Amino acid sequence: MNKKKIRDLMGEVMSWLASSITIAACLGIIIYLFNMGHAQIDIGFLTNEPATTLETEKNGILTPLVGTLLLTFIGTLVAFPWALGTAIYLSEYAKRNNLTETFRLGIDVLSGVPTIVVAIFGLAVFSNPALGFLSSMVEGVQDVNRAFGRSFLVSGITMAVMILPFVIKTCEEALKSVPDTYREASLAMGASKWYTITKVILPTAKNGIITAVILGMGRIIGDTAIVWLTLGGTLRMTGVQPWWRPDNWLSTLKNTGSTLTSYIYFMSPAGEGHQNENAFGAAFVLIIIIILLNLLTDFFMGSKEIGK
Amino acid sequence: MDSLELSTSLSVDKAEKKNQSIRVRLGRLRDSVCESGIFVLTASSAIIIVFIFIFILIKSWNIFAVNGINFVLKSGFDQQIIEAYHAPADKPVWHFGALGLLLGSGLTTVGALLLAIPLGIGTAIVITELSPRWMKGLLQSFIRLLASIPSVIYGLVALLVVVPFIQDNFITSELQLQYIKQFQLTGNSLLAGIAVLSIMITPVIVALSVDAINAVPHRYKEASLALGLSHWRTIVKVIVPSAKSGITAGIILGTGRAIGEALALSMVSGGIGNIPNPADGGVFFLTPILTLASAIINKSESMSVPSINAALFACGVLLLVTCTTLSLFTKIVERSIRRREGLE
Amino acid sequence: MVYSNSGSIIISVKELNAWYGEKKALSNINIDIKKNSITAFIGPSGCGKTTLLRCLNRMNDLVDGFRLTGDILLDGESILSKNRDVIELRRKVGMVFQQPNPFPKTIFENMALPVKENFGNVRREKLEEIIETNLKAASLYEEVEDRLDSSALRLSGGQQQRLCIARALTINPEVILFDEPCSALDPISTMKIEDMLMELKQKYTIVIVTHNLHQASRIADEVAMFYEGQIVEQASTDVFFSNPKTQLAQDYISSKFS
Repeated sequence: MNKKKIRDLMGEVMSWLASSITIAACLGIIIYLFNMGHAQIDIGFLTNEPATTLETEKNGILTPLVGTLLLTFIGTLVAFPWALGTAIYLSEYAKRNNLTETFRLGIDVLSGVPTIVVAIFGLAVFSNPALGFLSSMVEGVQDVNRAFGRSFLVSGITMAVMILPFVIKTCEEALKSVPDTYREASLAMGASKWYTITKVILPTAKNGIITAVILGMGRIIGDTAIVWLTLGGTLRMTGVQPWWRPDNWLSTLKNTGSTLTSYIYFMSPAGEGHQNENAFGAAFVLIIIIILLNLLTDFFMGSKEIGK
Repeated sequence: MDSLELSTSLSVDKAEKKNQSIRVRLGRLRDSVCESGIFVLTASSAIIIVFIFIFILIKSWNIFAVNGINFVLKSGFDQQIIEAYHAPADKPVWHFGALGLLLGSGLTTVGALLLAIPLGIGTAIVITELSPRWMKGLLQSFIRLLASIPSVIYGLVALLVVVPFIQDNFITSELQLQYIKQFQLTGNSLLAGIAVLSIMITPVIVALSVDAINAVPHRYKEASLALGLSHWRTIVKVIVPSAKSGITAGIILGTGRAIGEALALSMVSGGIGNIPNPADGGVFFLTPILTLASAIINKSESMSVPSINAALFACGVLLLVTCTTLSLFTKIVERSIRRREGLE
Repeated sequence: MVYSNSGSIIISVKELNAWYGEKKALSNINIDIKKNSITAFIGPSGCGKTTLLRCLNRMNDLVDGFRLTGDILLDGESILSKNRDVIELRRKVGMVFQQPNPFPKTIFENMALPVKENFGNVRREKLEEIIETNLKAASLYEEVEDRLDSSALRLSGGQQQRLCIARALTINPEVILFDEPCSALDPISTMKIEDMLMELKQKYTIVIVTHNLHQASRIADEVAMFYEGQIVEQASTDVFFSNPKTQLAQDYISSKFS
């Protein structure tokens, strides 16, 4: 009798231990980054460009921040309409047949493809000369006729492919959570199907769709593999300078740069930058962004998800 | 609501009627255009995976043509990369063997799963069954946060915390001397890789397990408690077994993540495709290793050499095939859930 | 108002009040339940009969915000006291639910699980014997003896409910609580279960919640009628149906029987 109680207690203690380790890992990482990184953060760090040579200039993360922003913007701009359209088709129009099943299978398999594979796929596709307008052509090398295959545009589109299946799935869940009675009521009033979708279903599913977009943005912001292979290894913007002048924007987009994640990698011992304090500073900024995005999703998901 | 206008009064004059019929027809046209539009989007979403296969297979074709099955049976990837890099352009080296990388991926994944499965299921049990109500939301927020921490941050923290810890506690200079001929013991190792991977995939397993356990009908729990089982025995004997399929799906998803994780592992696992030798005892875990995914990151700087480029794409093929198999396997597991639900 | 009739009393509810959060569910309940008899709780839905039933094996402990005052005695001992072992209580007071709830396991595993969990490692032959006896007691054995290893979810609704009854019997309870066990079943399955209940009362004490008055009149020895959280009338079945004392009971019987 008592033996059984002790066994039960042991089991519960082990479970609590497991969850404590998991939570401690999460808190530990955040506190560690705060400790190591917060001293680095000041206006200069946020508004200076990365130094070209060591020590002479004030080192900052302006261009990595802008790079992250650019990629997030391009990736979301491409992925969102694409994913929402797909989700609408799958949840509102698709009939249960082999074609639909094949579509679903394709999207499911895509969602399981590692980002590093998506990254080399992007590299393979965009080094095609026909797509040279997205980056630039490799010139001056004998017998080489190919596109450079690395730029903000290329990287952003590759990011879109990476988050696409995930955003589709989350949007579709949001659409499916709209009760059928809404559809029936709208259709019964004589509204067309497309009208029902745009004026009834999408507004009702709004929060879920916003959540999908934010989560997708989080994935882009956090990714490094795609940046590494399709944006390359330069810390500063490589387009026509100054990169921020509106007439140089296109050039900036067609050239390379860095993001917060690639900056962290280059500054860390792994990227042989060996400027750990800068890596920690950027990592602290990055984790703050990620935490804010998480709070935002918690807000949009509301109590629905959490209360369960 | 503009369609409601369609059914207004009966006394509309002819011109208005004509107007309406045009509007109706325009509406129908718009509907069908929109429908075909999103159909095209859907088809393109689904067909990307085919393109990925085609492109990556084409880019790596020469490797499989030259090496055949030996690509996965022979080792020495690092050395071959160096040879290929220094080979004269008219005599390129096309012989590669990725066995070391394959074993590296396998060992890190299995090791990470051995840690992450108990951690994940334990945490899921706490979230769903053991914790008080106010705590559940908080715990789940932490799990979501853990899942969204970028891999470069995991890599950074592991590189500057876990790796030095391993170096200080497990590696002595005698040990380093003993193995100097085979590899350098620096703390960048299989063990560090397993540690960082297990924390990365735990939230995936937690999230799916929580969903699966929450989906177990409450009446199973009631039945079990009414039969005199304690809460813990109810969890172990009834609730978790009933959520088995969902938990399995979480584990498979976690496996996919672990196999595909490139960056964090490339930072901490050592970057050299050694094959750990079980005869070395504890050094087995201290061996620097390389996985398929992190090899692509680590060796990408030599990608300008066509044969190295092809070899890295061939690593991509192995990853793609593995992860596709896992996705299909998840589908089968899901189908078995649905079949079971259909019975109820 | 203690019931003064022969037969030893096994459960005694005293001055019980219960709340779900702010909402009062039971007020001032007093009732005695006699050994080896069938006591039926009747009344319109939402009247508190299921709440009282679920108090008898403390299943309401699972409900957030549920609390109660008063006392319930089983064999003269309080089941609500702090140091009472709930698991041991539930072993003595078994329960069968409204919806059949076999586990998603095989029929054999459904029967074996409570045996193994409550009596430790039982020898295989002994285990098979217990399972056979109890499946027979629930008159299910002939229907399933050749497919004990198939999923319990493949059984029909009536068979599932009889499996749940058999499963409840495996742990030798003194009392079995039935929460509208036939409401999800067809008439033939219902008849089978009613016949079985008549058999079971030789060995066990049965408390059944039902809103089927015919069923109550067919099988019950004692009837307690609930209305808005109170017991408005309790009597032996014969007396209750032939000569109800309160107006509420008269109205309820006539409306349900007409």
